[in-house]
Amino acid sequence: MLTVKVGFAVLGGADGELMSDAVVLEHVTKRFDMREVVKDLSLTIRQGALFGLLGPNGAGKTTTLRMMMRILIPDEGRIEILGQPLSDRSQDLIGYLPEERGLYPRMEVLQVLVFLGALKGLPEAEAERRARQWLERLGLSEWARRKVNDLSKGMQQKAQFIAAALHQPSLMILDEPFTGLDPVNATLLKDIMLELRSHGVTLILSTHRMEQVEMMCDSICLIHQGRNVLSGELRAIKRAYGKNVLRIEYEGEDGFLHLPALIEKVNHYGGVAEIKLCPQADPQEILRAAVARGVRITRFELMEPPLNEIFIEKVSASDAQAVDHH
Amino acid sequence: MRFLSKRCRQAMPKLWIIIKREYLTRVRSKMFLWTTLGLPVVSLGLLALVVFTATLRVRHPLQIAIVDRTGNLGRDVLHNLDAKLPDGRPMFDVVATLESPTPAAEQRLLREVARGRLSGYLVLPRALLDGRQAAEFHTRNPEFLTVVGPLQRAVGDAVIAQRLRQRGLKVGNVQQVIRGVGLKMIKVTRAGQVVEHGRTFVTAMVVGMLLYVTLIAYGMTTMRAVVEEKSTRIIEILIASVRPFYLLAGKILGVAGAALTQYLIWAGVAVLLGTYGRALATLARPGVSPPTFHISLALGIYSVVFFLAGYLLYASLYAAIGAMVSSEQDAQQIQLPVTLLIVVSFLLFDFILRNPNSPVAVTLSVIPFLSPILMVLRIAVETPPFWQIALSLGLSLVATVGVVQISARIYRVGVLMQGKRPSLVEIWRWLRYT
Repeated sequence: MLTVKVGFAVLGGADGELMSDAVVLEHVTKRFDMREVVKDLSLTIRQGALFGLLGPNGAGKTTTLRMMMRILIPDEGRIEILGQPLSDRSQDLIGYLPEERGLYPRMEVLQVLVFLGALKGLPEAEAERRARQWLERLGLSEWARRKVNDLSKGMQQKAQFIAAALHQPSLMILDEPFTGLDPVNATLLKDIMLELRSHGVTLILSTHRMEQVEMMCDSICLIHQGRNVLSGELRAIKRAYGKNVLRIEYEGEDGFLHLPALIEKVNHYGGVAEIKLCPQADPQEILRAAVARGVRITRFELMEPPLNEIFIEKVSASDAQAVDHH
Repeated sequence: MRFLSKRCRQAMPKLWIIIKREYLTRVRSKMFLWTTLGLPVVSLGLLALVVFTATLRVRHPLQIAIVDRTGNLGRDVLHNLDAKLPDGRPMFDVVATLESPTPAAEQRLLREVARGRLSGYLVLPRALLDGRQAAEFHTRNPEFLTVVGPLQRAVGDAVIAQRLRQRGLKVGNVQQVIRGVGLKMIKVTRAGQVVEHGRTFVTAMVVGMLLYVTLIAYGMTTMRAVVEEKSTRIIEILIASVRPFYLLAGKILGVAGAALTQYLIWAGVAVLLGTYGRALATLARPGVSPPTFHISLALGIYSVVFFLAGYLLYASLYAAIGAMVSSEQDAQQIQLPVTLLIVVSFLLFDFILRNPNSPVAVTLSVIPFLSPILMVLRIAVETPPFWQIALSLGLSLVATVGVVQISARIYRVGVLMQGKRPSLVEIWRWLRYT
């Protein structure tokens, strides 16, 4: 497998690199004091993807990202970045926005950015030129000569994003990029991320905010207790679950929802209900039951399950499995 | 090929970028400015104070009176009051000598002194001769120390001459008779040079103190720099670009650069003072030589070399401590053992200076952690054989390599740890992480 890839890179030149995946993890395990934080994790992220790494708190997301960044070394397994095994060079190919964020508080914003750009191999003049462009773009140009300390939290976070993007990496790893941003800045950042992707940049996005992943990402990996529980194209995953969720908006009594033969689970929002149907249940029967009870239906839609639903189901299923094993 | 050569080139520039930032941050800090200026200013101030007090002389002849209750000493005292001002005029202008003073006359003198028309009056009490009472000088400026010597000598000589006369000896110049002898300690160095002991002692003290203070100060600076990167959480961005070892090395070397810059500035000021200081002092206060101490070029170079050796050793320890903790308060608590190691050297100052070549001193001065300060003290007092200096440096280097390896391991794991302080068991585990 490996020889084939190298063969491609040599024969195909630039095309060869395009053919390789952005990130490949093969049977990666990481332990801290005998506790397995990441267990036999394999996953592939193709180039140009906007990839969502999902998982509850403590699932091993940050550890996985740190191993991709070569901040931590896996105990077992291997990792490839852009077709090459991890090396000092691979670090420079990646733009990294860690979850633990910070800049030198007493340095000027521009100085910090130039310093961090230079560490990624940019000449200082070039780093400064690009930093000024980015600051302009993110509305921070007036703050270039101010101390980091003087910036608000949101502004610091934008500066940090600049630090990750400055050296034009073809792969960016963003750990919880939206936390702490107001809606305006979150939208700004989202637009920039989509623009980067349109230029062919691979983006890995770690988060537990499902609605963003659902709207932005094209493929995901859900990890739970260090294991890959679910991964693949988001659309394919949803399709596999089928259109088994019924969304009803109604006026009237909700007694018609007590149909255990048809309905597996109901998420009730008062006037709106998200219903998970039993296998082979006919949604028409629910509509009939509602009409029979004189309930007014204003919306009736059969749809794919929201990612949140899949997430919860997968995580609890995996927990149940773990209990069974014990 | 291209990648390979690039990779080789990359580690060094990254180290260099880290060093540069650290150096500039330290050199631009207010702390650096204050301490760099502070030391020369404070030492200059002390020097000026010494020069000033040594030259706080009477500018004009002092008008005084003598109140002689003994009835026969006044004339001799008057004769002995022959001290001169720097310009050659007599220091004392005795306007009156009361040989049989009445209380009323003394009251008048008191009033004259109080009004400032008389600088003071000298009282020779009746029991002065047999030593039961002391002479008194009544003045508005008793802090005028330069007049004490001449007055004391004048009265003393008169009394001694009188006592001798009573035993049948007639003496012209008492000073010639009672002149004592001094004892100077002259040290013969191995090379056969002769050095006055007091001066080398002062030099050794000054150099030793400077090393002691700068080792602690710059060690702590390194520790704080590491803690700052952890507490501000920038550390994860940094180690996503640079190997932790280079980051650690860059920090230590950057701070070392700042320390060397400071030493260089101080040395420059010292050289300037050495060249022009005496001339300046003479210009300000003619006829006075300011106190001097001499640091030879060799001692200067050895001081810097041993400072660097000691700094590398201690800074690695301080950096490891910085990596263990998440806040400066925690760091302050656990840095104590390391600082105490330096304090031990300080406590041994006196012993080393008194017995620089005793077997114990020789042994102590080659032990890593103690050697940076103690060996320089010995060099300042008397240059030890070169093999001892080389051994001291060599052992220090070996210890540094060992400490750096341990510190780098602690640093690599520690910088990613946040929260509570690790126990010794945990640190032991860190050391064995791959």
